[in-house]
Amino acid sequence: MDAPKSSKKRKAVTRDVEEEAGLFSGDELDAGDLDGALSDNANELSSDEDVSDSEVELIDDLSDEDEDDELASDEIPSDGEESLGKKLALTTIDQGETSSEEEPLNYRIEKDANGNDRYIYDEINPDDNSEYSDADENANTIGNIPLSFYDQYPHIGYDINGKKIMRPATGEALDALLDSIEIPKGWTGLTDPSTGKPLELSQDELELLRKVQMNEIPDEGYNPYEPTVEWFTSKEEVMPISAAPEPKRRFLPSKHEAKRVMKIVKAIREGRILPYKPPSDDDDKNKDIINYDLWADEAERPDHPMHIPAPKLPPPGYEESYHPPPEYLPDKKERKAWEEADPEDREQEYLPNDFGSLRKVPGYENFVKEKFERCLDLYLAPRVRRSKLNIDPESLLPKLPSPEELKPFPTACATVFRGHKGRVRTLAVDPSGMWLATGGDDGSVRVWELLTGRQIWNVKLGEEDPVNVVRWRPGKDAVILAAAAGDDIFLMVPPIADPEIEKASLEYIDAGWGYAASKPPPSAAEENKKNTPPQWIRPSSSLAEYGVCAVIPLRYVVKSISWHRRGDYFVTVCPGSSTPASVAISIHTLSKHLTQFPFRRRIKGGGPPQTAHFHPSKPILFVANQRTVRAYDLSRQLLVKIVQPGARWISSFDIHPTSSTASGGDNLIVGSYDRRLLWHDLELSQRPYKTLRYHRKAIRSVRFHPSGRYPLFADASDDGSLQIFHGSVTGDMLSNATIVPLKVLKGHKVTGELGVLEVDWHPREAWCVSAGADGTCRLWM
Amino acid sequence: MAKIKKKGTSGQAKNYITRTQAVRKLQISLPDFRRLCIFKGIYPREPRNKKKAAKNSTPSTTFYYTKDIQYLLHEPLLRKFRDQKALAKKIARSLGRGEVSDASRLEKNHAPKLTLDHVIKERYPTFIDALRDLDDALSLLFLFANLPSTTHVPPKTIALCQRLCHEFQHYLIVTNSLRKSFLSIKGIYYQATIQGQDIMWLVPYRFVQKVNGDVDYRIMATFVEFYTTLLGFVNFRLYSSLGLRYPPKFDTRSDENGAELAAFTLEGRTVDETPKAIEAKKSTSSSANKVASKDVQAQVDKVIKKAGLDKVKDEQAVETTEEATDAIDKFEPTAPEADTLPQPDISGDEAGALFAPFTFYISREAPKAPLEFMLRAFGCKRIGWDAVLGDGAFTHDETDTRITHQIVDRPALPEGALPAVPAASEGAAQKVRPGTRIPGRTYIQPQWVWDCMNEGKLLRPDLYAPGATLPPHLSPWVKPTRNAYDPRASLAEQEEEGEADMAEEESDEEMEEAGDEKKADAKAEESSAEDDSEEESVDGGMDVAGTDDDDDDEEESESEEVEDFGGFEDEAASESEDEEEAARTQHQKELEAEAAGLPFSSASAGDDKGKKKSSQAKKIASKKRKEEEELERQKMMMSRKKRKLLEKMMYSNKKQSEEAAKLRSKRRKMEKGDN
Repeated sequence: MDAPKSSKKRKAVTRDVEEEAGLFSGDELDAGDLDGALSDNANELSSDEDVSDSEVELIDDLSDEDEDDELASDEIPSDGEESLGKKLALTTIDQGETSSEEEPLNYRIEKDANGNDRYIYDEINPDDNSEYSDADENANTIGNIPLSFYDQYPHIGYDINGKKIMRPATGEALDALLDSIEIPKGWTGLTDPSTGKPLELSQDELELLRKVQMNEIPDEGYNPYEPTVEWFTSKEEVMPISAAPEPKRRFLPSKHEAKRVMKIVKAIREGRILPYKPPSDDDDKNKDIINYDLWADEAERPDHPMHIPAPKLPPPGYEESYHPPPEYLPDKKERKAWEEADPEDREQEYLPNDFGSLRKVPGYENFVKEKFERCLDLYLAPRVRRSKLNIDPESLLPKLPSPEELKPFPTACATVFRGHKGRVRTLAVDPSGMWLATGGDDGSVRVWELLTGRQIWNVKLGEEDPVNVVRWRPGKDAVILAAAAGDDIFLMVPPIADPEIEKASLEYIDAGWGYAASKPPPSAAEENKKNTPPQWIRPSSSLAEYGVCAVIPLRYVVKSISWHRRGDYFVTVCPGSSTPASVAISIHTLSKHLTQFPFRRRIKGGGPPQTAHFHPSKPILFVANQRTVRAYDLSRQLLVKIVQPGARWISSFDIHPTSSTASGGDNLIVGSYDRRLLWHDLELSQRPYKTLRYHRKAIRSVRFHPSGRYPLFADASDDGSLQIFHGSVTGDMLSNATIVPLKVLKGHKVTGELGVLEVDWHPREAWCVSAGADGTCRLWM
Repeated sequence: MAKIKKKGTSGQAKNYITRTQAVRKLQISLPDFRRLCIFKGIYPREPRNKKKAAKNSTPSTTFYYTKDIQYLLHEPLLRKFRDQKALAKKIARSLGRGEVSDASRLEKNHAPKLTLDHVIKERYPTFIDALRDLDDALSLLFLFANLPSTTHVPPKTIALCQRLCHEFQHYLIVTNSLRKSFLSIKGIYYQATIQGQDIMWLVPYRFVQKVNGDVDYRIMATFVEFYTTLLGFVNFRLYSSLGLRYPPKFDTRSDENGAELAAFTLEGRTVDETPKAIEAKKSTSSSANKVASKDVQAQVDKVIKKAGLDKVKDEQAVETTEEATDAIDKFEPTAPEADTLPQPDISGDEAGALFAPFTFYISREAPKAPLEFMLRAFGCKRIGWDAVLGDGAFTHDETDTRITHQIVDRPALPEGALPAVPAASEGAAQKVRPGTRIPGRTYIQPQWVWDCMNEGKLLRPDLYAPGATLPPHLSPWVKPTRNAYDPRASLAEQEEEGEADMAEEESDEEMEEAGDEKKADAKAEESSAEDDSEEESVDGGMDVAGTDDDDDDEEESESEEVEDFGGFEDEAASESEDEEEAARTQHQKELEAEAAGLPFSSASAGDDKGKKKSSQAKKIASKKRKEEEELERQKMMMSRKKRKLLEKMMYSNKKQSEEAAKLRSKRRKMEKGDN
């Protein structure tokens, strides 16, 4: 269509402007442009066309029939061969001729056959709005004759202008034309998106499409009208297939079923099966009501240890009252504290409140909650059986005598005895309780008036040897003092008592001389022996003046003297490590001036003997070495008991004065250098009944009150203090001794790591005297 | 070599099982397990060593005794639970299918019904065991009897609880076995003694209970289910032990009219089972009938009066004879070191005779239900109340001349302004104005009833007169113990030595500081008191003060004075003691001065009180120190274990005594404030 358009333009230009050359140049330019745009293969055709086109289009412009032009232009290349093509060409030429003639004027002058001018007028071209129609312009004018007359002609009649109406091209011709244009089979014009190539349908697909288009069943080879096959015959057979006879169950009622039905019937008749009845409300009500005694045959079940009954809630106290005593009401501070506390931390879940009268009491808002919590506790709280303490702490405390009962005991220092130079090593209160004998490092023995502290008598036993121990003879019939200084034991009668007693005591001692003299002197062989008992000798005249009556030279340092209760015997111990075991312990008989060595061998275990005491009532001798205390029966001469206090180094011990009198039990107190005071009940065990450790330093001396009146005992320690205890022994075998600490007496100064060296009791009063390393003695009362 | 013991096969590891394990073993859901535990009374245990009991390292919280759980395995209830679960599934299925009628049928007919009879027999093999465990049951059932019905608490349950509780109360009334009761701020505590078992329970005041969100009613409902069964059996046993028919006859109509306790009629159980009322309860019928049959009423009243008087006489006669024969003699130890054997407090007969001769009338503002129960339980047969309080009263007529005591709970009632003579007036019951007093009867506040029954004797009613300031209401369960504060005793009796003096000194110091504050407080109190008085006067409605009141007051004051005098004497005695002591100290001082060689001037020893006081304080302090020393001394002799135990005990005792001291100081302050 590009070509015709360009031709039209050209036409228009020629019409307006007469310059052909300019036009042509432009035309050529255009055509050349166009040609370039067009395909090359149509070059020749287009050149041909150009010529014819220029003519034809002129006409076309006038006739305004584009399609015909097109058709004509199309047909031009094919005209030379076929008749049809010729005809077409003819018509076009004809048309071209006529139109060219008509153009300048309304009419044309032509020469008719006769050569005459003939005016041929243009066909009036009516406007669109013209009434006139040229619809039948090309109508065949052959009239009512069969068309078959024109079968032999290329035209089929004539139009109104007498022109032949050419036979139109038949379908076959079109088909032939289309067929001549080759379109590949299955061409769709679409592009297969997967391959990018043109989509072409296969034969089968085309066939399928066709069938779908034609409303045919697309399946190939399906026959919708197949003949019926009778699988089940509709005809009834007359003869049975099997000859077996029919079973009874087909036509007789079941006996089993009948039986079961009868069973049910019977059950219903007997009332075993009841017809269903909807339950009424009365039944529900009755269900709740108990109508039998559950505990008709109750049998007690033994209590199981794992069964813990739920604890009951405690009864309410005064503060829960609706009208409590006013002191139970919280004050402002308490109220505030309660309100501020977390509900879990509160001790009570309510605040006491006074409502005054019952009508003012409101409901308790936590009631349901509390009951709910109780429920939770009942099923959720673990239960533990706890033996509840008897909350009376008094019951736990040992049954103690009241403080009033314990009195009297020494509480304060009453008298201080000053006079000794250096330490006072030892002291003793005489059996009458009037005098106090002391011995010290200065080698002197002094006797004082106990209550006033006045020195009455003084004797210097040695220059360098300290007086280690002084002891009064028990018994009031004589006043005899035994003192040990250095290797010797001195027996003295201080001139303090009234002359009768003094005389008696002198006689008592002197009687021994005669007894010793009557005894045959020891043989030389015996004399040579080491353990020969020493002979008692008379003291030097200087000493005799002072009242010393006898001297026992023991050859070893004596540290301990202990009188027998009757005052006839006393036992001495020489604890020095160099002392031979056989002479370490010696028993002296005053009335016979006799000295014996009861032990031949060393006491086993625990080093050298330290101290020894007679039993207050039995013929038993207690000997303590460093670690044990042994009891020997003197009459039977055998070891009775070994007491093991567990102390490292026993310093001293004492036997309870009422031992074995009221009861069978012997009680012993043992003091040790390792700060322990041990109470032994010999009936109970070898081990101590009580171990008391109240001192910070070594215990030097322990002493029971000598009379049974005051159950007191005291100990003296290197820390400068005395401790007074109450230690009562009952006659009851079942009850143990009661020991009550009573008093710490302080007053002695600690000098050279030594404090109180010895303690002794007044024989009748609850007074005690102590000897200190500071050179003083003190009376405590 | 001995066989190596495998771990976890014996001892605590085997004896205890965690809750999860238990639930798994029983193959039930946790809620079901909970219910089962509640029913069977299975509770968690505390193993001695938790680490040994737990097989894994994580500390498990709850342990059960393995044998308990094993024992649950054979529980018939467990099968019921499983049936229930199956049924629930069926119902859910039919509901899912839209077969509602099917579901409802299933629910109605196939729901397994739990019976707890065997459980109760197992848990309480004897009746005494059941009684012992009745405390919680009664408390919970009385609570549920007073709850409003909700979705959680169906009205049926409430009705059942009410019935059981009333039945139990009736038993207590018949046997007079109620012993003590206490009005607390939580509710009313009661204690009864049945077959030697003390049962205490708490009944809430009649208000709508406030329920917080964290209360799970399912748990409580499970408990209630169990307890209702238990109380049912207990009631049956109690009734049958008295020869009464169980359940007692229940009058629905009078119950609807609010008769409560009176809706039940106890019947004897005879051989031919013909019901026979043993308690002739003269319940005056509704007010409509009253007017119509007034003559009849009067006649009946006369008869009752006669009968009542006779009864009283009989009872009194019986009482005296019983006193002669049956009563336990009081044993008093003659020597101080002898043990005191405990003796029972009061018997049922005494309790039954306490209020027997009286006729009570309960005003409409007083709580009827507890008062009726208490009065009946203590032998009162004739109790009337206002018609608004419900049916079942002896009389609704306030002007009835037979009434001896009237329980009122209003502010002061002025006397004298009586509208009309009750005998002459017609229909006086309606016309008695509130606040008036009818002569010839005793007006008391409700607390009188409680205090009388706790004391076991009739107290002076004038202390409890309407409008009077009541004496403090004390719990009857608190036994006076050492170191604990006892509000009944006077302050001087229980004070520690010298405590008052110390307090005085302290308060002197405090006084100066807190003087202003106190003044302000006092002012506030005054104003509040004024307010109170105004209110009371408004409430009272009457402005004429009764002469009786005055008399009472005078009496009171007199008695107080007498008491006061007694107190002074005591004080004087104590003072003389003090003086003696002072004299002794003075003598001591003189001696000391003599010893020191100084002239002793009596003037310096001084009558100066302050000095004396300070010396006393010193003395006390030294005494205390001495006591402490003594204690230390005693402690020295104890073993460490015992000492620790002692210290623990001392701690708790100290706490108690501190509390007591606090209360004492408060009281002291108050007494001082009064003076």
